[in-house]
Amino acid sequence: MVTGIAPAPPLSPAVFAILLSLAEGEKHGYQMMKDARAPEGGGVKLGPGTLYGSLDRMMLAGLVAESGLSDDERRRYYRLTKLGHSVLAAELERLDAAVASARSLGLLPQGGRS
Amino acid sequence: MSESQFQHARLERFYAAAMRLYPPPFREAFAPAMRQAFHDALLDRSLSRRTLIPLVLRDLVTSLAKEHLSTARETFSRPALLFNALVLGALATGLAFALNAIPQQVLRLGANDPQIAMATDVATALEQGNRNAIPQPDTLPALAGGAGKVDIARSLSPFVIVYDDRGQPLASQAQLNGKIPVPPSGVFSYVRTHQQDRISWQPVLGRDNGVRIAAVIQRVDGPHPGFVLAGRNMREVESREALVGQLAGLTWIGMLGVILVGTLVFGWFSRPKTA
Repeated sequence: MVTGIAPAPPLSPAVFAILLSLAEGEKHGYQMMKDARAPEGGGVKLGPGTLYGSLDRMMLAGLVAESGLSDDERRRYYRLTKLGHSVLAAELERLDAAVASARSLGLLPQGGRS
Repeated sequence: MSESQFQHARLERFYAAAMRLYPPPFREAFAPAMRQAFHDALLDRSLSRRTLIPLVLRDLVTSLAKEHLSTARETFSRPALLFNALVLGALATGLAFALNAIPQQVLRLGANDPQIAMATDVATALEQGNRNAIPQPDTLPALAGGAGKVDIARSLSPFVIVYDDRGQPLASQAQLNGKIPVPPSGVFSYVRTHQQDRISWQPVLGRDNGVRIAAVIQRVDGPHPGFVLAGRNMREVESREALVGQLAGLTWIGMLGVILVGTLVFGWFSRPKTA
């Protein structure tokens, strides 16, 4: 049951990394941990406790849902909900605006990844 | 079983045991998936053991604290539970305040008891022209400590002082630091219009001379108007008041403790099953 309130930007690094990871498609716990650890996934070192604690709250807030898919009894897959997509999009827009601002100030090279 | 597999199995057993530290609802929902994630991490050759173990230990500590806090919040921060606790706390505070204020007031009013009779009797006698009613120091027996006058700072005996209409002392059974104490002129003004005043009076201000007197001042009318003050050192009453205050404070803390424990126990047994 969705009872929580969707988090307003800025999102916590863990929530952002999980949303970004699930934007690619349905994933299980360790896949999300691995994605989050990669620099392009946010560079966040998530342990299983933090991951599943965040997923629990994100499910309550309606950002993610269990897909029902399972290739193992203990391996659970999760997917983004519509709300999760829009929250991620809002966060990316916020970060994009910050990056654009940094570029205009000369803090980042023009037209490229820092 | 290879050395590596043996180590994996040992780490997984440790992690499975650590799952028992999580709150039951969280453990029931996620422990198998968490163990699977840890198992997957152990098998991931891109993640060294030296990176994984500290990461998992840190994660255990932080997530355990977080999940227990979250469970406690869900269990104990329900509005009805908090409202009940606040109402009970407010009632306990009001009750403790009454337990402090009522006995103190009774003690303070009781401290005037002999003085009321003394002041009115002397004033009545003076109004009837009986100048013998003016108290003499030696009318007090041994209580005067040998000098014939009550030492207000030390003695608990009641005493009488007579003042003329301007508030100048005419006769006294007592003294404080070798002088006859004189109340502020405002007290005499009040008694002129209201006939009597009952006050707690500290003749000499300051911590060292903080003698307080339960004083009853009575107006004397007639051909020789003036005032009669009957007083008594409040030391004993004040120590009783302090004791009452301490008992009321302890009662208050005890009641808040009972409410806190009751709220925690009730909150735990009535917690939402999904928490």
